[in-house]
Amino acid sequence: MSALLSGVGLTAFGKQPGPDSVEWQCAAADLALADAGLDPLEIDTVITGYSTVSPHLMPANVFAERFGLRPATAFGMNVGGATGLAMLANAARLVEAKSATHVLVVAGENRATGQSREASTRTLAQVGHPTYEVPLGANIPAYYALLASQYLWSHGLGPEALAELPVQMRAHASRRLGAQFQKPITVADVLASKPIAEPLRLLDCCPVSDGGAAFVISRAATSDRSLTIAGTGQAHRHQHLSALEPGSTGAGTAAQRALAEADVTWEDVDVFGIYDSFSITLALLVEELGLVPPGRAGAYVRAGAFEVDGRFPTNTHGGLMSYGHCGVGGGMAHLVEVATQLRHERGASQVAGCDVGYVHADGGVLSAHVGVVLRRRGR
Amino acid sequence: MRAPAAALRDWTGGEPRLVLTVCARCGNHWYLPREHCPVCGSDDTDELVAAGAGLCVAVTHVHVTTEAGAAPVWLTLVELDEGPVVMGRASEGLAPGDRARVSFLPDGDGLVPSFTREDDR
Repeated sequence: MSALLSGVGLTAFGKQPGPDSVEWQCAAADLALADAGLDPLEIDTVITGYSTVSPHLMPANVFAERFGLRPATAFGMNVGGATGLAMLANAARLVEAKSATHVLVVAGENRATGQSREASTRTLAQVGHPTYEVPLGANIPAYYALLASQYLWSHGLGPEALAELPVQMRAHASRRLGAQFQKPITVADVLASKPIAEPLRLLDCCPVSDGGAAFVISRAATSDRSLTIAGTGQAHRHQHLSALEPGSTGAGTAAQRALAEADVTWEDVDVFGIYDSFSITLALLVEELGLVPPGRAGAYVRAGAFEVDGRFPTNTHGGLMSYGHCGVGGGMAHLVEVATQLRHERGASQVAGCDVGYVHADGGVLSAHVGVVLRRRGR
Repeated sequence: MRAPAAALRDWTGGEPRLVLTVCARCGNHWYLPREHCPVCGSDDTDELVAAGAGLCVAVTHVHVTTEAGAAPVWLTLVELDEGPVVMGRASEGLAPGDRARVSFLPDGDGLVPSFTREDDR
């Protein structure tokens, strides 16, 4: 028996002062429950992502009380950017084991306006090793910049190769309501943007955003819009960049586990949502997954492969780089978009005839990986 | 198994050296502290002081720092001749593909590893 994705909710992302983290979570949860057609009291399990702005020992209890729920099971999870998909994977297992009927998975954060940029960078630097990496002056952009430097050097490429990826994400976002950045950009704009951690520049990096996202995972379909969670797979091979095994970060392993559980191959997948915290993140992931040959992500994007009508329609909402990144909810937006595509509700940006979608998230420095295969029911 | 407290001190403990761990069962080498070999699971390990030279495989010039107003910093990844990849500061001009050698610079109360192009020394 496969679990079903019965509802999704996604707020607009951006600089939106006012709501605090739990209020963004409530907004997203309302959208997901309405989408599933469920009453709050039908939810028996709540899984909640962390907020860096408002860290708490018991985030699921804080959310449940505020929203007005008394679930039988409630817990929080922390695997960085992979948290959203990891919550969905665990929700699916609880439902398959008949330990839950309807699980509400929720995350939201006022990451853009709730703290200073320095505070945000400092909190996120925890991803690095506290004695071997952080004291060097390293932070998240620096870790990914090192990966970008190694990638460009080992494939004999210039920074324009990676600049193709944010250009494509922005083109997608220009057609997606709720995206933080919608004005089209060019490769020249990326290369001329402010250096952050060279070779990465501002437009190679996702922003921080305010917003939220939520899913409802159910034992039975609540409408004909419910989708099958056909497979999930994870891999957790390291935490710190200094322990990363190049070319074998766990991304490919997680994907193969998800595809095997769903009994599909890449040939069967029509639409993709791939984590894109930086241009290099997306390039390394699509290459380790085996969608694109090593070193060729930029060339494939330039040729239109990630477009709505391309071979690998990817992040048609604009991804973290242009829809935005509010923490755990940022990595959930990819799944909301793929679900919308699989429901054939994406209007002018609809991927024609799509039946199977794959979503991948990573946390840390390619440290925690979760892959999810979604499928239209009956296909 | 070595008790963590008995481990050889490295630059994080104020000694100017990079210390690696070698698995006595399978020969795997690694850099960050670990209790068990992630390849074979053994806790029978030896320590090795790295010679401090290797191939620079990545360099970044970090402009966005965690402290407002802090100066930009150069960082590198160096694949040591012993195998493991080590992160350090970099002297300006070091580039991927260069041979690099470590030295240890004072930083606050301690030391940090910093890599220089080998033919610049």
